[in-house]
Amino acid sequence: MDKNIKNENNENIENLPALTAAELAAERKAREREAKRLMAKNAKDRKDREKADAAREREYYKTHKKKLDLSPGNILFTAINYIVFTVFTIACIFPFYYLLINTISDNELVKKGQITLWPMGINFNNYISMLHVSDLGNAFIVTFARTILGTALMVVASAFVGYLVTKRDMWHRKFWYRFLIITMYFNAGTIPWYLNMSMLGLTNNFLAYIIPGIVAPYNIILVKTYIESIPGELEESALIDGAGFFKVFKSIIWPLCKPIVATIAIFGAVGHWNSFTDSLILMQNAPQYFTVQHRLYIYLNTSSNLAAIMSTGGSAAANAAAAMMNSKVLKYTISMVTVIPILIVYPFMNRYFEKGIMLGAVKG
Amino acid sequence: MEKTGDNVMAVQDKADKKRARQALKEEEKRIAKKKKEDLKLAEKEEARRIKAKRKRAYEALSPEEKMAEKYYIAYRIAAVFSALLIFFPSMTPTRICTMISKNISLFTSAVSYSAITAEMGRAFDKQWIMQGTMILLYISSIVMMLGILGTAAAACCSLGNVKLKKTGNTIGMAGAILMAGGLAGILVSYSDITGTTKPEKVGPMFPVGFYIYAVCTVILLIVSLLLLISFRKITKEKLAGIKYEMEPAYKLFLLFLPFAFLSFVFSYLPLMGWRYAFFDYSAGQALSSENFVGFKWFTSLFASEATKADVVRVLRNTLIMSGLGIATSWCPMAFAIFLNEIKNRKFKRFVQTFTTIPNFISWVLVYAVALSIFSTDGFINTLLTSVTGSAHDTNYLMGNTAIWIKMLLWGMWKGIGWSAIIYIAGISGIDQSLYEAATMDGAGRFEKMWHITLPGLMPTYFVMLLMSIANILSNGMDQYLVFQNAQNTSTIEVLDLYVYTLGIQNGNIPLSTVIGMVKSLISVILLFSANGISKAIRGESIV
Repeated sequence: MDKNIKNENNENIENLPALTAAELAAERKAREREAKRLMAKNAKDRKDREKADAAREREYYKTHKKKLDLSPGNILFTAINYIVFTVFTIACIFPFYYLLINTISDNELVKKGQITLWPMGINFNNYISMLHVSDLGNAFIVTFARTILGTALMVVASAFVGYLVTKRDMWHRKFWYRFLIITMYFNAGTIPWYLNMSMLGLTNNFLAYIIPGIVAPYNIILVKTYIESIPGELEESALIDGAGFFKVFKSIIWPLCKPIVATIAIFGAVGHWNSFTDSLILMQNAPQYFTVQHRLYIYLNTSSNLAAIMSTGGSAAANAAAAMMNSKVLKYTISMVTVIPILIVYPFMNRYFEKGIMLGAVKG
Repeated sequence: MEKTGDNVMAVQDKADKKRARQALKEEEKRIAKKKKEDLKLAEKEEARRIKAKRKRAYEALSPEEKMAEKYYIAYRIAAVFSALLIFFPSMTPTRICTMISKNISLFTSAVSYSAITAEMGRAFDKQWIMQGTMILLYISSIVMMLGILGTAAAACCSLGNVKLKKTGNTIGMAGAILMAGGLAGILVSYSDITGTTKPEKVGPMFPVGFYIYAVCTVILLIVSLLLLISFRKITKEKLAGIKYEMEPAYKLFLLFLPFAFLSFVFSYLPLMGWRYAFFDYSAGQALSSENFVGFKWFTSLFASEATKADVVRVLRNTLIMSGLGIATSWCPMAFAIFLNEIKNRKFKRFVQTFTTIPNFISWVLVYAVALSIFSTDGFINTLLTSVTGSAHDTNYLMGNTAIWIKMLLWGMWKGIGWSAIIYIAGISGIDQSLYEAATMDGAGRFEKMWHITLPGLMPTYFVMLLMSIANILSNGMDQYLVFQNAQNTSTIEVLDLYVYTLGIQNGNIPLSTVIGMVKSLISVILLFSANGISKAIRGESIV
């Protein structure tokens, strides 16, 4: 670092070319390392501070225990409050639990309607026989593909565009930023949208899931606001070093944006996983591109002879498995299979909720 | 006496504090305003500086180079124009016979051979049209697209330094030649098709778009040639030491351009579809002066009794469901306030975690859940059967009773925990000293909730309320589509669902476009009025 300062202070510019390319590269690397170290240190400091804060808070609550208010009104209120929240929380979880116990219990008992509160005769055969449900596997591949591809492209594009629109010297920046953002507030309607997609050749085409979602104005706003909140010195020093916009984005902006990127990635992925209307409207003649949600919708509305959707050309074992499942169990199991991925990633997304929703409140 | 004195002192103290707080706030506001103004000024200064720099650079050019700059302007305009036209079906040069659907743009004909030949199965069988002609047309479209891409790239390069411009000129010339080649190919396939044995069926025609593209191509060719000539003195040797470079302003803009393009294609281009509202259109047909009907579909909304009844019914459903949503929009806030009263942190965390889950599952899954609980063989019926002993098999999802309330409850089940998060965050932002002061003054729990927490959340609630009023016509279709069945259609069908059923399922494109269009316009007006109200009352915009 000392050497750096000296160089900058040196009036004699002619000295500079004396530095060889290798030296320059080494210096740049050193700076990058320094920047990374600083970033890591900042993150660590922040974490330490947060920890200390939490500890102090706990300490405070320990020493400042409030006197219990034991008036009857207060007790009644507290009791009702607890009861209402408990009941509502159970109402939110119970349906999933109910689906689960019905899919892992003995199918005969389920058919008789004897599984209400706990599972009996636990087995996982229903889930294994899901492999024989025609089209479901395909739908899963399509949905996974669109979730991963679509989310990745959307996230990278949002981060990059969010970075570009923070650069003040972009040609007519304000106009172009508004050009993107204003699309959030109007909507041509379902039919013109559909006709446009078919004009672009995006009906019955897998790309229809990916390309339209790449530019997401709301996420661009989130990234832009986030980038504006981080100090610009790091980036400036890199730009002075002669790094291009791509390089700066890749090595400085992107790593710094990780929290917001994680947030929009999670919301994007959930959106892709749950999307249903685009499959319904755009893929009318391409059942091979139906998403899981669309398949589930079809299965839920097939009341007669649902067991027929199990592939009939399968082995005897498959047919036996199909025979064991009645339509109720089949519907439950497919629902369960569709919801499981969400439930698996849910604990990871939990910490990004508040960040996402609060950042959303600040627009500009 | 002393006590009164104390009281007076306290009151004065309070007033002082209030005044001090207000002064502080005003000061803060002033500083923020000044900062904003400074920033604006700096930006203006910067813009002026850049402009001056560009002007200086332009003046330093030789007359020939100055001329080249002028050529570039023409080149850019022609290139952008021909690039945008590829999406407009009426401007396509490829519709050489009436058998090709009128809704095919140059872009479509270059990406999909099957779209061009969609209606030609019989014509191919009977040898009215040769497959080769259509393949030639398809290849010509692709060549044209490549040419247009080349000219667009050249237009981008023209924003760079001399070396970039020089390379761009070569690419641009190649692109213009490709475009000319593509047009020639189209011309050949046109002359092929005029020789058809069944002209009355095939209907050969010369597309208007061809002339437009021919003009563009000629301009591009001439300008490219002029540019190549004016750059002839700049040889490779002269450029040896120069790198490809571009002013940051343009570089940033070009990096941004692909995304602006995507936005244009997927958000602005659909607006063109509004023209269907003025035509007698059914799928696959063409829009022409014959089936232009003006405002017929707009008036038919009110003219035909059946449609009128439908629209009124659907509007009623939409407004009632949105109205119920607005009437209960305080619920998430109440949820947050009451949850805040629970002191056990673990329980609080538990409730918050599990009540947000339903927000992350799709409406289809919500329906699956509803089936498992409320259908004939669902939880409620099996439980009742096993408790009472007699058989219960009511399907609570069928039927038409209280459907609006049911939909509201499902919406709340799915959304309340999620919507409460913003209020929970809001509560943690309320100044703790307010609570302490209130406790000192002897305020009880409910008084604190009513006089401190609630007013603290009101601004957030106000924004949410305005947003839901702005969205009064758009309550989405997923929820109502999945819960819809033969018995409840009349009460569950909302505007979005009606548009979908009418347009996609029944194929009445013009009428559904009209409804969607009116809805969009009203929504935009509502949104901006809401924004205006918010600005007037709170001095903050919400959009």
